[in-house]
Amino acid sequence: MIRNYFKIAFRNLWRNKGFSVINILGLAIGIATCLIIMLFVNNELSYDRFNKKADRMVRVYFQGDVQGEKMKESTVMPPVAQTMKADFPEVEEATRIRDYGTPKLVYGNKSFKEDAFAFVDSNFFQVFTLPLLQGDARTALIEPNTVVITKAVAHKYFGNGDAMGKIISFKDGKNSPCKVTGVIEKVPVNSHFHFELFASMASYPESKEPTWMYSNFYTYLVLQKGFDYKKLEAKLPNLVEKYIGPQMFKTMGITMAEFKEKGNVLSFHLQPLTDIHLHSDFASDLSQPGDIRYAYIFSAIALFMLLIACINFMNLSTAAASKRAREVGIRKVLGSGKRELIQQFLLETIVITAIALVLALVLIYLALPVFNNLATQNLTLNFTDHPLLIPVLLLLVVVVGFLAGSYPAFYLSSFKPVEVLKSKIKSGRKSIGLRSGLVVFQFFISILLIVCTLVVYNQLFYIQHKKLGYDKDKVLILQDTWMLGKNVEAFRQSVKNDPRVVSVSGSGYVPAGKSNSNNFFVSPGENSTQMIKTLRYDVDENYISTLGIQLLEGRNFSRQFGTDSSSVILNEAAATAFGWKQGAVGKTISRLNNEGRKEVYSVVGVIRDFHFRSLHERISPLVMAFSPDQGNLIVKLRSNADIPGLTTLLKKRWTEAGSEEPLSYSFLDERYNNTYQAEQKMGLILGIFAGLTIFVACLGLFGLAKFTAAQRTKEIGIRKVLGASVAQVTGMLSKEFLVLVLISCILAFPVAWWAMNKWLQDFAYRAAISWWIFALAGIVIVLIAVFTVSFQAIKAAMANPVKSLRTE
Amino acid sequence: MIKIKDLEKIYRTEEVETIALNKLSMEVKEGEFVAVMGPSGCGKSTLLNILGLLDDSDNGSFIFNGVEVGKFNERKRAEMRKHNIGFVFQSFNLIDELTVYENVELPLIYTGVKTADRKAKVEAVLDKMKIMHRRNHYPQQLSGGQQQRVAVARAVVNNPKLILADEPTGNLDSSNGNEVMELLTDLNEQGTTIIMVTHSEHDARFSHRIIRMLDGQTVTENILV
Ligand SMILES: Nc1ncnc2c1ncn2[C@@H]1O[C@H](COP(=O)(O)OP(=O)(O)OP(=O)(O)O)[C@@H](O)[C@H]1O
Ligand SMILES: [Mg+2]
Repeated sequence: MIRNYFKIAFRNLWRNKGFSVINILGLAIGIATCLIIMLFVNNELSYDRFNKKADRMVRVYFQGDVQGEKMKESTVMPPVAQTMKADFPEVEEATRIRDYGTPKLVYGNKSFKEDAFAFVDSNFFQVFTLPLLQGDARTALIEPNTVVITKAVAHKYFGNGDAMGKIISFKDGKNSPCKVTGVIEKVPVNSHFHFELFASMASYPESKEPTWMYSNFYTYLVLQKGFDYKKLEAKLPNLVEKYIGPQMFKTMGITMAEFKEKGNVLSFHLQPLTDIHLHSDFASDLSQPGDIRYAYIFSAIALFMLLIACINFMNLSTAAASKRAREVGIRKVLGSGKRELIQQFLLETIVITAIALVLALVLIYLALPVFNNLATQNLTLNFTDHPLLIPVLLLLVVVVGFLAGSYPAFYLSSFKPVEVLKSKIKSGRKSIGLRSGLVVFQFFISILLIVCTLVVYNQLFYIQHKKLGYDKDKVLILQDTWMLGKNVEAFRQSVKNDPRVVSVSGSGYVPAGKSNSNNFFVSPGENSTQMIKTLRYDVDENYISTLGIQLLEGRNFSRQFGTDSSSVILNEAAATAFGWKQGAVGKTISRLNNEGRKEVYSVVGVIRDFHFRSLHERISPLVMAFSPDQGNLIVKLRSNADIPGLTTLLKKRWTEAGSEEPLSYSFLDERYNNTYQAEQKMGLILGIFAGLTIFVACLGLFGLAKFTAAQRTKEIGIRKVLGASVAQVTGMLSKEFLVLVLISCILAFPVAWWAMNKWLQDFAYRAAISWWIFALAGIVIVLIAVFTVSFQAIKAAMANPVKSLRTE
Repeated sequence: MIKIKDLEKIYRTEEVETIALNKLSMEVKEGEFVAVMGPSGCGKSTLLNILGLLDDSDNGSFIFNGVEVGKFNERKRAEMRKHNIGFVFQSFNLIDELTVYENVELPLIYTGVKTADRKAKVEAVLDKMKIMHRRNHYPQQLSGGQQQRVAVARAVVNNPKLILADEPTGNLDSSNGNEVMELLTDLNEQGTTIIMVTHSEHDARFSHRIIRMLDGQTVTENILV
């Protein structure tokens, strides 16, 4: 029997080649998208779970609200780890990571700048599951000046020779050389840290300091089995009282009670290890965290893609039911029961799904590199890394097969043989309502995605063209020029004298991209107790003109005024915050410095607000102080400047000025654009998914139109005999599909508006969701639908009516 | 009204060439009622389709109302057809999704008659065909004879000068068949030209003239009146 079913299944596929191609292609695209997204989501959820103790590990973090300044730090103070282990019996182990930036290391004549170097406690490799290929995990890092490295690093320094026992030294000589005492394979991709070199904490003196006043150490705890970390978290306020309190009194002269009375808060918290990747919002962390929202959005899209593909299948099979009606009738007459028929039809769907799956695997193979590139992922589809993949795929085939096939199977098998055989059955009339509903659902999703994509791109366009209050074009940032030391002034002069350069300003503060940041609490006047939180920019006299910031009142800084070291320029927001909407120039502001002495500044100018933060945030009060520093050189170029020529020259000058590091530079407009990379990616990925869903939905529409046209051949013939023109017939056939698409629009628009409004809330400055976005989305989808449907409709309308009527 | 000369129609499929009409010539005057008879496959339907401007011929001339229409393009033929010609088929060819009323109304929509006028015309013709009480039924709910009366109603609602009927009684029993033949006779008496293909000598006797065909050619003509 089964063989007979297979035979019929393949014969049917072959006979209805057009529909089979639509079904298989649609399902393949659906399955491929779904699988890629599943790989992505699975990878996101798998972070740090390779650690055997992952389910009872937490990271300690620190939160504070001091003088209205909120902070949330992923690092804590050096003694936290030891103290917690000593004070709380439920803490089994505590271990720390100190990220050591980018030291330059030397071995023999080889020298590399390492960007994945950390000091870690000696129990690190017992806490984290990173097996040592060589060396002993328990003892490798007990001694000072020891280091465990990855295989890749070992190969980089020592080639194929044995790494164990070799000595690597620091170029700057500040740290003692380290002996290699262990080698690991590598840190898994789905780890929240990616260090390559782990030096023993014993070699890092700061780690032993008993200070509770600054935090630099990522601190992890292993809790007793089955212990709820919330219970431990509840005990942490004690730590603040017991350890921070006394030190605060010593250094700042206020007691913890006084400190709290002023509304300040300090607290420790715990974060499960497995939450770090998807649930973190720290200002800085060991790696760029993922975002659980993306996991949700993508999962939803995956499901929708699969549903849309299944719907195509359901629609086409029920629509084509009349073709199968005779077969059903004859089989029933010959004694087949309903159950056998259902089995047969489901088997057919599963065969189709299986073929689609094979195609999907090919598509994934082709598309995965593209997706990895877009989403900065490193996903692979191989059966050794994912042993569960094969059962998952089989399950997928069965689930999709049932999802797509069950309705048609039940529908077809319910035909009554007498009716079927006596008369030509009125095909699929009953199921038209359902079909329409499903088509509406497909286009609902497509339109939703189109509108979302358009809103994202509209916001990106807004970001691109927003008047920022400063001029980001043709501005070159030469980074870290302070490294030149005393040579920086000469270098600066040579840059300034270049004919391609308009002006140069030295400042570590840049309005886009990486910048210094310095909170500045000041009071208006000299005696006010009111404190206002502002941001302080240390700039020179060229800053305002170099960045094209507009001076509204007063004057710029100048070297001609000997007193400008105590002058400040406010932005509008600051002037308003101090209560001087008008006439701020001439007023004074003051603050207590660290030694408790009063510093007074006089306001010499007010500048127009400019966006020194991303458009996600409101422009806040900003105070510019005249305090030239050479953190970066900000260089305004002439509009026709030969940029490659200039950078080549500057690189040469840079080396001549005695730097060992290569010159690093960036362009302000690029830095600005990079700020919105996440949004750009979101737009692109949404756009691609929108395109895919539309394509699959249109495949289905195309099939339905083809089918309807075929079914209505006779009617079309009659109408033509009675005088209908090609245009009239085309219109008639297209109309009903267009009505469905329009209904989808009406349903999708409010949902899209709601969702994207929510998304836009993330931006303090945003483009309105205006009507044209909906109009455009509507027009696009209607055009695509018209094109899809009318192709079939025109074909049907052009057919010779004599032939149509002969099909009787 | 109709004058055709040396009309040829050849169907070509991959293997065979069928000469459906072989240099056929004939003439039909305004107000005539002509029956076309002949064995199956001799080209009657082909001839009727060409006369009805549904299909084009390969050779020969076809003058309709003094105009050479043989070389008309599709659009011109459709234009000519919808104003001048009504069709009745053996298998009725009513649209299942439309009611009796809507089926009859269709030609008026395509010739651009205004809604108000359409109502009057459709009702008049339904009345005349004694099918008014069934106006809101669907074709499947009618008997064969009733369906064919609707088809005739639809054919005449535009007051065409010419009605082409291809075996209009082929699917009907004799009493229903007679009813339809009487309808056609009435129409003819009111001035409509009718060309009817039939296998029934009985039906043919309602006409004025019988053209007998064989292998795509006319062989004899019997004038009855
Ligand atoms: N589309 C076509 N392709 C090929 N041959 C055709 C086509 N239409 C008709 N023929 C052939 O042309 C010849 C005439 O067909 P036609 O339908 O005109 O016959 P008929 O006289 O109406 O027959 P019947 O009395 O059975 O209806 C036949 O041999 C038929 O097989
Ligand atoms: Mg015939």
